[in-house]
Amino acid sequence: MTVTVPSTPPTPSAPSAPSAPSARAPSAGFELDAVGLEILSNALRSITDECFFALMKSAYSTNIKERRDHSASIMDVRGRLVAQSEQSLPLHIASMSGLMESVLAKFGNDLHDGDLFVANDPYVAGGTHLPDVNLALPVFSGGTLVGFVCNIAHHADIGGMAPGSMAGGMTEIFQEGLRIPVVRLFRRGELQQDLLDLLLLNVRVPHERRGDYFAQIAACRLGARRLLELVEMRGAGTVMRGFDLMMERAERRLRDAVATIPDGAYEFEDRLDSDGTDHFDLPIRVRIEVAGERIRFDFTGTSEQVPGNMNTTVNATHASACYALKALLDPDIPNSQGVLDVAEVSAPAGTIVNAVFPASVAARANTCQRIVDVIFGALAKALSDRVPAAANGANTTAVFAGTNPDTGVPYVYLETLGGGMGARPDRDGKDAVQVHMTNTSNLPVEAIEMEYPLLVEEYGLVPDSGGAGRRRGGLGLRRVVRPLGHDCTFNGLGERFRHEPWGLAGGGTGARGRFAILGDNGAERTLGDKSGDIPIRSDERVVIETPGAGGLGPPAKRGAADLDADRRSGKFSAEYLARHYP
Amino acid sequence: MGAPGFGHNAPLDSQRTEGAKRVSWIVGVDVGGTFTDFYAVRSGDGEIRVAKRPSTRENPGRAVIEGLEELAAAGVPLGGVQRLAHGTTVATNAIIQRRGGRVVLLTTAGFRDLLEIGRQIRPHMYDLYRDQPPPLVPRERRLEVEERITSGGRVVRPLGDAAVAEAVARLAEIDADACAVCLLFAFQNPDHESRLGAAIRAARPDLRVSLSSEVQPEFREFERCSTTVLNAWLQPVMDEYMASLEAGLAERVPNARIGINQSNGGLMSPARARALPVRTALSGPAAGVVGAIDAGGRSGPRDLITLDMGGTSADVSLVRDLRADVALERAVAGLPIRLPSIDVQTVGAGGGSIAWFDRDGLLKVGPESAGADPGPACYGRGGTSPTVTDANLLLGRLSGRGLLGGRMTLDRDRAARAFAGIAGELGYQVERAAHGTIGVVVANMVRAIRTISVERGHDPRDFTLVAFGGAGPLHARDVAAALGIRELLVPEVPGIVCAQGLVIADLKEDFVLGRRVELRPDTAGELAAAMAELVQRARTWFEEEVIPEADREVEIDFDARYVGQNFELRVPVASGPPAALDGRPAPDAVAAIKARFFEVHDVAYGYHNPDDPVEVVNVRLTAFGRTRRGAAEGRARGAPEPPAPVEVRPVWFDPHAPDDTPVFDRSRLRSGVEIAGPAIMEQLDATTVVHPGDLARVDAHSNLAITLGGA
Repeated sequence: MTVTVPSTPPTPSAPSAPSAPSARAPSAGFELDAVGLEILSNALRSITDECFFALMKSAYSTNIKERRDHSASIMDVRGRLVAQSEQSLPLHIASMSGLMESVLAKFGNDLHDGDLFVANDPYVAGGTHLPDVNLALPVFSGGTLVGFVCNIAHHADIGGMAPGSMAGGMTEIFQEGLRIPVVRLFRRGELQQDLLDLLLLNVRVPHERRGDYFAQIAACRLGARRLLELVEMRGAGTVMRGFDLMMERAERRLRDAVATIPDGAYEFEDRLDSDGTDHFDLPIRVRIEVAGERIRFDFTGTSEQVPGNMNTTVNATHASACYALKALLDPDIPNSQGVLDVAEVSAPAGTIVNAVFPASVAARANTCQRIVDVIFGALAKALSDRVPAAANGANTTAVFAGTNPDTGVPYVYLETLGGGMGARPDRDGKDAVQVHMTNTSNLPVEAIEMEYPLLVEEYGLVPDSGGAGRRRGGLGLRRVVRPLGHDCTFNGLGERFRHEPWGLAGGGTGARGRFAILGDNGAERTLGDKSGDIPIRSDERVVIETPGAGGLGPPAKRGAADLDADRRSGKFSAEYLARHYP
Repeated sequence: MGAPGFGHNAPLDSQRTEGAKRVSWIVGVDVGGTFTDFYAVRSGDGEIRVAKRPSTRENPGRAVIEGLEELAAAGVPLGGVQRLAHGTTVATNAIIQRRGGRVVLLTTAGFRDLLEIGRQIRPHMYDLYRDQPPPLVPRERRLEVEERITSGGRVVRPLGDAAVAEAVARLAEIDADACAVCLLFAFQNPDHESRLGAAIRAARPDLRVSLSSEVQPEFREFERCSTTVLNAWLQPVMDEYMASLEAGLAERVPNARIGINQSNGGLMSPARARALPVRTALSGPAAGVVGAIDAGGRSGPRDLITLDMGGTSADVSLVRDLRADVALERAVAGLPIRLPSIDVQTVGAGGGSIAWFDRDGLLKVGPESAGADPGPACYGRGGTSPTVTDANLLLGRLSGRGLLGGRMTLDRDRAARAFAGIAGELGYQVERAAHGTIGVVVANMVRAIRTISVERGHDPRDFTLVAFGGAGPLHARDVAAALGIRELLVPEVPGIVCAQGLVIADLKEDFVLGRRVELRPDTAGELAAAMAELVQRARTWFEEEVIPEADREVEIDFDARYVGQNFELRVPVASGPPAALDGRPAPDAVAAIKARFFEVHDVAYGYHNPDDPVEVVNVRLTAFGRTRRGAAEGRARGAPEPPAPVEVRPVWFDPHAPDDTPVFDRSRLRSGVEIAGPAIMEQLDATTVVHPGDLARVDAHSNLAITLGGA
């Protein structure tokens, strides 16, 4: 996962620091020791967080404003990740690097003050799926490149066959939306209107997408302004040396943590349910080799890439490995190149974890969840004090589309639902929560009903869905939705509808998820895990139940007080308790 | 209860003209974690008395009574106290310790798990072991009621009498002392909640009832439900506290009207505090901001950044034109509270914050704190961790004698031993290691201030930094320098600014109507109707609280956003006496409001689009019963005289070498005195550091104004 270095790397030269407000400003005597580096890294995190929130609050796409599927980062002149907004989704850690690799390969000798690059393509621009639009702004101080300010934002639509650009049933990337290689959206400060017109013509609801682009552009410029203020205060040379030291220290910190894992080779295999076409039970296999402070994830033996959109590029697989390492070894380590460099990934090209052109990739988040599951499963014995049982393992997605009968305006409502979290060695798994690679919020029921002609009839926990054990798995979520006064379509995408979340150390499996249609006449019809477009009448309801999670430890060892709480709360039925805790 | 309204105080001003016969006092009492502070001001001449008592955690009211007796001994006739404003952390502490009532929650059928699911997110992306706090009401006490209202307040499933009866019957089987009701869309149509509430109150007069449509009728059901549940859960706690406090106060200060501080920085009557205790949950830091506004307003500057630094944390806030920024939602101990509150950011940076090396070798300070017990190493109470206070002692910024008049000395050798490890690791002398520690804790505060200023479109260089709390004046100069701020203000008694703020706090009530209306000339009527409804509600409140016409004031704001956005910006619409606001806005006012929205959007995000539609989501009204502090012009204290330093001691401003620095007793500095740094000002409850090159001046109100680079 090395990044191409431009053939003539810009040489950092330190312009003299401008005179500070008073004789003893903090810059005087600023050194890159344990104190100075902490102060510098604090300032950089402050910049990326500010960009993150500015983008979130001014954007239009639900994915950004409500679900926080976006991130902001600072990269160095070689395209390495220096700092990333704290709340960034784990998937974004690697796509930014992929983008920079492409920017430098294509424009490394042709970067100018005022340029702004845009890209989204997984195959020629390092992206992970098309709705994630990536921006990179080179920042110059006194004519010298000091770094890049970047952000990624998941647009609500990027064109292609279906509204939202995330639907299943597509078999190549061309159907999923507009592919953008690395191109200049601004050239030396000038907006390339022709390009923007082209981008907007190819997406649905273009005036909102225009708002998203401008929110991203404003966030880039804000970050650049802040980075320049920092460079003026500390000097470019100091700041850029600080970048190097921060990345080195992060790498050292994580390597020290890796060294605490007993040396050895650890293997695990799990299966994805399906790709939404006719491929089922797709194996994902990992062999993890730990030797001292090195760790290598080898995915040989994983399913070949599939026609459906469950494929991932290797960048997304790399991001999943980084997540797993951080979560198990050092959750508080700041995201940086140091983290990326420690997680060595080897995945055969043409598999679902290293897909090659022209595989479709829109639903890669579900595959990434399973990649985390297999890494956790492999390391469960080596790190038995902290590895949890399998969680709901999905990014359960429900899309309702139709035309509002009152206004005649078409709508698309997309929601991703949490589920059970796996039982942990010291406590039960959480109920109804987003896990691992995703942490997106729900949309309030009151917001849904004000926005769309839908009625949410139930929103609660699924009883009996957590695996039994000394520590039990978390419960899944149940949501029941009815179209009001019109017919609509439902499109659901689930995982762990066929393969249950596993338990650990004698713990039981969690419940599978399911989609169903419930008629007012009482008839219930179960749908597939990748339902495709299903027509729904106003006298029908869609039932969504997300998977629970696995338990940990033998059920016989579950404490009496815990069992009493399971019963009193109604989270588990008497039959279930009698069956699993005889 | 039946305490007369707060507004009866208005005649105070006229009393002044009657001469010295009826001297009256206003007292602010702020209960903090460590100390309970008192600030008493005499109307007429503005004479001040202060007192400080150790807080009595098991019964906070005891310290209140003890302090009042101390004030009496200091010459405040308790019979002459006309007004007593009280800030309490009873609710905040109850939440942090999770010691509240037994609550039953009633929800719409199908939604009893709402409180537990929340927003389905985990608090930390990578930490598998950091969970949201468990819900305050366990699942077995969450009951569902057959009813449903949807968007626009439209009833989809009526609430039948049988359903009401069933809810009341099931409630009877549960051992509980409070009941919260949160039904979907009750913020648009409160009918079902009101009927349930009435039935429960009739059947169970012993049960305290909180309805979401009364506590905070705003959309987003989880946050409304969480706020309502917290309110119900706090009611038994607040009831118990208020009952004992009011009994004690009735005896000691029989003529005083009591006001209880809210998170929005205003006061409410004890009866409101019992009904809506959740409004006090974030009130602690709010009083300090109001006190800083008082100090700033009297000394001159109107745009302030406040820095209140104590033993474990620092609170920062932004004040423009002497008005504090307002946040609409915050959390206590992970539980969201949707209520207007003074927008205070808290960072774990205090005198007791501990310095440590992170796994990557970078020096960190806090949020772990040595607290008051064992406290910093230099306290000699068994603490061995290197803290910010130890660092200040090593640098000579704090005196080894401890605070002036204090009984506790500080042990420099213990501080040096505590810092030996860090110094060794860095390869530095202990003073330089201490200097670095101050640098890191300052950076943490700077980041918090950037969040409330730069990130909201305000340039901190345009503001005066008001520093208070025990540790604020020690660090304010470094914080200011890092932000490019040139003017500092240290109030007269930095350790009791919260109690000072209580004395000038207004009586205050927030009203909100959830109305989703596009901002167009043809919708002006709908918005005007909403405003009129709120003004009417404010009138009722003014009457209930017996606030005289002349002291009545309202402010109306819209929460607005571009159609399609998700985050609302607060747009000021109108303010003034309620009588002047009926019937607005006129259709042509809509364009002006829209223009104001564009301005606010520009400030917040750096751009706006004049062509995109704008919508209003909430109409808000804040009602004020203005209070008057009484005359408190600069007190003549004689001509400035050249002060004599108490001592001269080495102080490290530079990490490598100390400067010989004069130390002054601040209480002996007269108004008008100017002192060029380096200098240290010591007083009973705080130490102020004046750096080389800076100029300090005692202004007419005894506040210390410091200009960076002004010498």
